[in-house]
Amino acid sequence: MNNAPPAPRPSPFSPFRRTSPWPARLDLLQSGSGLFLGLFMWAHMGFVSTILISPDAFWTVARFFEGYFIFGRPYPGLVSLVVALVFAVLVLHAFLALRKFPGDWTQYTVFWRHAGRLGHGDTRLWLLQVATGFAMFFLAPVHLYQMLVHPELIGPWESADRVWSGGFWPLYLVLLLAVELHGGVGLYRLAVKWIGFRDPASARRRLLFLKWGMTVFFLVLGLFSLAAYVKLGMDHADQAGERYRPVGVWNAPVQETRT
Amino acid sequence: MKIQQTDVLVIGGGLAGQRTAVATRRRGLDTVILSLVPAKRSHSVAAQGGMQASLGNCAKGAGDNEDVHFEDTVRGSDWGCDQIVARMFCHMAPKAVRELAAWGVAWNRVAKGDREVVINGQKVVISEADAAHGLITARDFGGTKKWRTCHTSDGTGHAMLYAVSDRVIGEGIPVLERQEALALIHDGERCHGAVVRDLITGELSVFLARATVVATGGYGRLWGVSTNALINEGMGAALALETGVARLANMEAVQFHPTAIVPAGILVTEGCRGDGGLLLDADGHRFMPDYEPDKKELASRDVVSRRMAEHMRKGKGVRSPYGDHLWLDITGLGAAHIDRNLREVKDICQYFLGIDPARQPIPVRPTQHYSMGGIRTDYRGQSPWLAGLFACGEAACWDLHGFNRLGGNSVAETVVAGMLIGEYVADFCASPEGDLNFSTALARECLEREQASLAAMAAGRGGEDGVAIRRRMEAILTDSVGLFRNGPALESAVAELADLYRRSQRLAMANHGLDANPQLVQAYRLPRMLKLALTVAMGALARTESRGAHFREDFPARNDRDWLNRSLACWRGGEDLPRLDHEVLDVMFMELPPGFRGYGERNIIDHPHTALRQADVDDFREGETDRHKRQTHMMAFKQYLPVQYRGRNERLDERFS
Amino acid sequence: MGRRLTLTVFRHNPREASSRPGTRDYVLDETPGMTLFVALGRIRDEQDPGLNFDFVCRAGVCGSCAMLINGRPGLACRTLTAALPERISLFPLPGFELIGDLSVNTGKWMRAMSERLRAWLHDAGDADPDRLEAPMEPATAEAIYELERCIECGCCVAGCGTAQMRPDFVGAVGLNKIARFHLDPRDVRSDADFYEVVGDDSGVFGCMSLLGCQDVCPKGLSLQTQIAWLRRTLARQGW
Repeated sequence: MNNAPPAPRPSPFSPFRRTSPWPARLDLLQSGSGLFLGLFMWAHMGFVSTILISPDAFWTVARFFEGYFIFGRPYPGLVSLVVALVFAVLVLHAFLALRKFPGDWTQYTVFWRHAGRLGHGDTRLWLLQVATGFAMFFLAPVHLYQMLVHPELIGPWESADRVWSGGFWPLYLVLLLAVELHGGVGLYRLAVKWIGFRDPASARRRLLFLKWGMTVFFLVLGLFSLAAYVKLGMDHADQAGERYRPVGVWNAPVQETRT
Repeated sequence: MKIQQTDVLVIGGGLAGQRTAVATRRRGLDTVILSLVPAKRSHSVAAQGGMQASLGNCAKGAGDNEDVHFEDTVRGSDWGCDQIVARMFCHMAPKAVRELAAWGVAWNRVAKGDREVVINGQKVVISEADAAHGLITARDFGGTKKWRTCHTSDGTGHAMLYAVSDRVIGEGIPVLERQEALALIHDGERCHGAVVRDLITGELSVFLARATVVATGGYGRLWGVSTNALINEGMGAALALETGVARLANMEAVQFHPTAIVPAGILVTEGCRGDGGLLLDADGHRFMPDYEPDKKELASRDVVSRRMAEHMRKGKGVRSPYGDHLWLDITGLGAAHIDRNLREVKDICQYFLGIDPARQPIPVRPTQHYSMGGIRTDYRGQSPWLAGLFACGEAACWDLHGFNRLGGNSVAETVVAGMLIGEYVADFCASPEGDLNFSTALARECLEREQASLAAMAAGRGGEDGVAIRRRMEAILTDSVGLFRNGPALESAVAELADLYRRSQRLAMANHGLDANPQLVQAYRLPRMLKLALTVAMGALARTESRGAHFREDFPARNDRDWLNRSLACWRGGEDLPRLDHEVLDVMFMELPPGFRGYGERNIIDHPHTALRQADVDDFREGETDRHKRQTHMMAFKQYLPVQYRGRNERLDERFS
Repeated sequence: MGRRLTLTVFRHNPREASSRPGTRDYVLDETPGMTLFVALGRIRDEQDPGLNFDFVCRAGVCGSCAMLINGRPGLACRTLTAALPERISLFPLPGFELIGDLSVNTGKWMRAMSERLRAWLHDAGDADPDRLEAPMEPATAEAIYELERCIECGCCVAGCGTAQMRPDFVGAVGLNKIARFHLDPRDVRSDADFYEVVGDDSGVFGCMSLLGCQDVCPKGLSLQTQIAWLRRTLARQGW
């Protein structure tokens, strides 16, 4: 005979089960690193796109980050430092985001089926985020490593040569798409994750509008900039490797051309 | 044979059953709840408007107390209720509300200062006292002298059921979901538990218990159109009836709610009228004041429903493909009020009718709503004929409601009965009577009988169509045992139901599975439903008077002389029909002797003792100014309550020192 | 008017070895005001008496009849067929144990969730039911009821990619309950106590804000708002 009394339940205030503070920290770190990277990418795109103004403008921006206008001479190591920081944040973000990736084939198929039948925009966006995030595991480090070890090779001709003669343009094209889509969705997700809206429906409508607006804007800007580098790279292909000399900047330093 | 043993077996996971279980668990008894559905899906969840308790916090409830609530309840019952039970209930209701407040029900609260309300179609400003700010407020309901119905918007049952269910989970009480009791195990004197079927696997098992509590709700689904949930098929009452010894009482006392939407039959709360909604006919005319100039839309439910039907018979109903209906107009309350206090009503109108109740009237019609009758119990909730069998809530005829229940008294009854009957069950288990001396042979015999019966049904060798029989039963009850009844119609109803009952034992089956097989479920429930239908129709046929919701066109008078009693039905094994007898309500013990309810013309055949008792009562009233002492002189009841519940209720105008 | 509907309904009895998951088509004529409750009832009465599905209140308040209606979780009882195309697909709610056909065991899931989250009000236990109740601000009571309106139908779990992928995720239903008790001044638990039950990746930090819950909730609960708020509140427990 089965005469089982109800099992005793642990007291809700049990002193033995203090939970770890780490889930909260990791969540904040994931969001924080994502926010940093997202904003950094928008700013980055702003700097890169100065090529559309003029090569001189881009040259000036590049030198600015090397401290040229403060110290009177460029310190490319400063750029390496920033790159190292971004790299570190990216690794952290990727590590944290991995927790959210589908863990096995079952989870993949379950999610895929779910997204397919639900017909729900925000759910599909997450698949996009997973796909673009996955792509960036491989694409972003290539670029970042390059910038880390050759920070001085950021300049109108230097960059254009890398894009065209160095054969980087396909990577940059895919990376651009991945970054802008991932970042846009990510920043939107951060807003709905942390901000408790009084009227979630209309807040989301506006946020999505804003999100797509920003994504389209930065994608267009990015594509034009990339095209500009390609064009510049094609024009400069014969002299590939030559350092850029600004035309309109009166006290530009003369830099050696590497052979 | 799978046998499980427990102290208390509660059949039914609604408010009454779960509250009982909390009480017995807290008394240290092993308690198991069986439920057809997940407990939070029980029909208690559908109670909308509120729960009556005489807190007297809000301005329009000021001066309310147990005495006023008691009078309303007894009048509402058309003097058919057990006045001791009504007293116990009115005394307990404030405690129940306050307990639930502590358990988490977010009762709507009084906000101090002026507010605009709609009364009798007019906007009126009422002013709430500073001292009442933050205390539990109340709304108006039909048949009450004070605003007494405590509520959480119009989802009161939901809020209460969730609070109590959560408490059950917190107490670690197992709720065995999708389990249906098929038979009570008994030896003719003592109930020992039940044979239980798992609705998923079809497996049968035996639950042996020192006390078995039936809290399965009403039998509204016998009528085709009902506000009741689909699970309210009266199976708890049928279990008791099938013991052959326990009795059902007042089965003919069936309430029709004035406002269920047409055609779906879904309830919209009495709170609509309590908050100022009006009933209109095809011409847009507000007709209730023509019939009941005093209480108008807020007369007792039986009266409003009958008046509506009467008005439609005069051709004033709105024609529709689903039959005539009337309008419930709450447009005068304003969208803001509806959004805050009648949001379920708004949802129902939106999803089932496609209308906005703030702008359009709601099509309504009186619809079966509540079963005043049920398993007859004493004030402890125990069957006087079968020890160890308890019942509470709508499944029981504890007899709080007599022949008509007041709106807001049913959810109140569930928790109050749970609080009290849980204690009595625990007392019973603690007494020598409560020892379980069961024989496994008895259990095995009972289980094998059910098993054989299920196997025979699943084989489905008969040729009868279960769906057709059920539809016919529903039609008979709707046509002949509804709002208006008469002898010839009831006689033919009884004859035809008896025939249907015989046929229902030979159903054809397309599906022979013994596990989750809806057709098998139908097959074993249908004969039981027909048994109940017969007790209803025969009770109605026998009762040659009109009382509360039971209205006989051929006997329109309330006949206290011959019918101040309770109908009892018992179904002996092997017989074709139930046997009826009647239990007298003794006027000489009544605190409130029978009188005129104040609706329509006075049409009462008085009981010879009424005048005598009235004189006694008047003497008591004269002689004593303290209301508590006066009450005790007239009809002492506190000795029936568990000791911890005997204390007085504090109110703003009756503060404890 | 006069449409002929085709309902493609999932059929499977997981306890029968020979049963294979599949669908069956039922054709029936639409009637005015027909809901899926009416349609399925007619199918059972007239075409297939063995079809399993769950309706209890049939009024949209008990949460029994949630299913995938053309892929989207919703309450069948209050879904008018007129709002759907002529071909309607009905599948059981994913993420819950299948009982048979359209019937799933949401009750078992919900009870386990409630036990795990200790989702009942932890009151101080000192209320005397004889005495005046403790006052509460009217607005607070209304705000609590707003969150209390959840009917545990399971739509949010079926609409949540996270919950579908990770069966231990408590879903919006669980997080909303914690938010509800957190809001309630009668509940004596602290943030740390709530953190203990939902402060991990199967709780609030597992939520990926896909907002399927918000978009399919039949009661229109502000789930996004509650989860965001809970996340902010409990994130503070990291320090």
